[in-house]
Amino acid sequence: MSNKPVNHAKAAEHFLEDAPHLQFHDERLWDMRQKRDAQMHILPEWQELREEASRIKEHTLSRLPEYLEQFETNAKKNGIHVHWARDGAEHNRIVGEILKAHNARNLIKSKSMVTEECDMRPYLAKQGVTVTETDLGERIQQLDDQLPSHIVVPAVHKLTADVAKIFAKDYHTDPNIRDPHLLAEAQRQAARPVILHADAGMTGGNFVVAETGTFVVCTNEGNADLSATVPNLHIATIGIERLVPRMADMGVFIRLLSRSALGSPITQYTTHFRGPQKGGEMHVVLVDNGRSARLGMEDFWTSLKCIRCGACMNTCPVYRRSGGLSYGAVYSGPIGAIIDPTFNERKYSTLPYASTLNGSCTNVCPVKINIHEQLYKWRRVLVQHHEMPFVKREIMHMAGKLMGQPKMYRAAIKATEVSLSTMPRFVLYNWLNPWGKHRENPHPVKQTFNDWYRKNRETAKPAAAPETKK
Amino acid sequence: MTAARDEILQALRNNRPTPENHPLPPVATLGDLDASRERFITSLKILGGDVLEPVEGETLDQAILRRHPDAKVICSNVPEAKGTLPVEKVKTPQDAATIDVTVVRSPFGIAEMGSIFLSEAELPINSFAHLGQHIVVLLSVDQLTANMHTAYQERPEFKTANYGVLMSGPSATADIQGVLIRGAQGVRSLSVWFT
Repeated sequence: MSNKPVNHAKAAEHFLEDAPHLQFHDERLWDMRQKRDAQMHILPEWQELREEASRIKEHTLSRLPEYLEQFETNAKKNGIHVHWARDGAEHNRIVGEILKAHNARNLIKSKSMVTEECDMRPYLAKQGVTVTETDLGERIQQLDDQLPSHIVVPAVHKLTADVAKIFAKDYHTDPNIRDPHLLAEAQRQAARPVILHADAGMTGGNFVVAETGTFVVCTNEGNADLSATVPNLHIATIGIERLVPRMADMGVFIRLLSRSALGSPITQYTTHFRGPQKGGEMHVVLVDNGRSARLGMEDFWTSLKCIRCGACMNTCPVYRRSGGLSYGAVYSGPIGAIIDPTFNERKYSTLPYASTLNGSCTNVCPVKINIHEQLYKWRRVLVQHHEMPFVKREIMHMAGKLMGQPKMYRAAIKATEVSLSTMPRFVLYNWLNPWGKHRENPHPVKQTFNDWYRKNRETAKPAAAPETKK
Repeated sequence: MTAARDEILQALRNNRPTPENHPLPPVATLGDLDASRERFITSLKILGGDVLEPVEGETLDQAILRRHPDAKVICSNVPEAKGTLPVEKVKTPQDAATIDVTVVRSPFGIAEMGSIFLSEAELPINSFAHLGQHIVVLLSVDQLTANMHTAYQERPEFKTANYGVLMSGPSATADIQGVLIRGAQGVRSLSVWFT
C-alpha cells in the first residue's frame, strides 16, 4: 500500500465538483446532527450521561489488562474461544484458520470497522472464501469496491441513482429504479439465499462486558443477528478498547450511542452474545493493531474512548463538504483525523489539517473526547516530525517573518486591500492563492484597524496600567 | 498464540495512564423512571413497532390473522396461540425462513425505548426471531421496566442468557439516500400483544 501522504484537499475538490451529491451529503448529515440535538434536548440528564460515559471509559482504559483478562476468563467459561491478534495480518490469519478448520467457504458478515482496518476481505478471497456484507450500506460499498465513507452510514455519499446502477450490475435489477424501497427489497431478496447457505457468520462488537464475558452488537437491520444465528459458526472481531467493566454500565452507553449517531433513541437491534447457540461454535478475536501503542500517547490516548457513533462526522463542516472517501483512510472525519496518524504518521499527515478547529466535534462527542484539541496537538507533532506539506510550511515560514516586522506587515495589509479592490479576478483567484479556491476572498475594507486606532486613540492618553494582584 | 496475548497485555500495562487517577464511577440510574404501558407504547411507535389491540371476543389467532390476512405459515411458541405450523417442525436455523408470522413471549419490555427482550429461553431456535417475515410478541404489562439503566440493573437475563436481543420495532435501514425503510433484513413488522 502506498505510503504517500493522502491529498485530502485534492480529493475533496473532486467531491465539490458534483453539486447534487455535495448538497445531499451536506443536508443529510446535518439532518442527523439536528435529530441528535432533538434527542439531547429531550433528556435533561444528557450532560451527566456524557460525563459518566467518559469516566467509565477512562477508568476502563487505565485498567484494560485486568478487564481483558476478566473478559477472557468469563467468555471461556461460557464456551467462547478467545484469540488475540497483535495486528491485521495476525487477525486475518486467525480468522482464515478457523474457517479452514470448518471447511467454511461462504462467510456472511455484519459491518465491522476493525476488519476494514485489517483489510480482511482480500485476504480471505485469496483463501477461497466468499465474503458477503449483510449491512445494506456496506454491501453497496462492497459491490462498488469502495471503503465505507462513514462509520455508521457507509454509503451516505451515494444517491438512489448510484445504488440503482450498482445493483443493476450485480442483482440485474432495472438501472432506472428511483424508489429506494424497491432497491432495499432487491437487497433483501438477494441476501436471503446467501444467508441461508452460509457456512459461517461474522460480526464486530460495539461493547464488551468484562463482568459477564458478553459482547454487544448494535444494528438497525438485524443483519448481525442473522449472521450470528443462521450459520453455526460465529466469529466476532473486536478492538481491545471496547470494554466496559459491568453489565450495569451498558445503560449509559446504549442511551447515548444511537441518539448521538442517527438521533434515534436506540438501534432497532441491541444484541448480547454471551456464549454459542445450541450446537454452535463461537470465537472472539481481540485485536490490538496499534491500540496498545496509542494508549501510551499522552495527548492522544483518550481517542480510545470512541464508541464509533459518527456524531463528530455529522457535525463537521469539512467532512460534510469533502465526503468520507476524501480522507483516504478506514476512519474519516474528525475522529479519523486523530486516530489515522497513529496507524501511519506520514500517510495521514494531512488529515489533522482537514479541520476548522471550530470545536463542534468535541461538543457533540458522547464520551467527551477533546477532538479539536487533539487535532491541534497533532499539527504540532507533525510539524516537529517534519510531516508538514511543503507549500503550507513555506507559507507559514513567510507569514512568520512578515508578522515579526510590524512595518512590513502593515504595508502588506494595505497592499492587499488595494489589490483586493482593484485587481481583476483572474489575478486574485489562481493556484497561487489557495484561499481563493472554492471561496471568495474577504471584502476589502476602507480603513484598517491600525489606521482607525492612529486617528482616534493614539493621541489620547494611555490608560494607567491596572495594578496586578498577587 | 499466547505470545500475542502476553505481548498485548504487557504493552497495555507499560503504556496505560495511572489507574489511581481514574476511579470507577458508581453505577448510575438517571432519567425518567416512568415504567407505564403508555410510555412503552409511545416509544414503540417511534421505532416503528405497533400494538395489536384485541377486539372483544377475539382470540389471539384471530387477531394475528386480522393484522396479517395474507399469512399462510404462522408459527407460535406460546400456548396462547395455535398457529398453522407446529413449532416442533422448526429444528434447524434455516427452517424458520418459510414462516410468515412468528409468535413469541418476551419476558420484559423497556418503557424508555419500547424495546422487548428475547433470548434462547423464549425461542425454539435463535433465528426464529429474525427469519420470519413478521413477529407478534406477547408481553405482560407488569414486566415493564423504566429505562436502560433499570433494565440492566434489574433483569437477570442479561447475565444468564447466551443470546439476548433487545428488539425495538422491526428491522430498518436508511442507507439509500436517507429514506427510512422498514423490513430491511429481519422482520418487516413487530406487533406487541399485551397480556
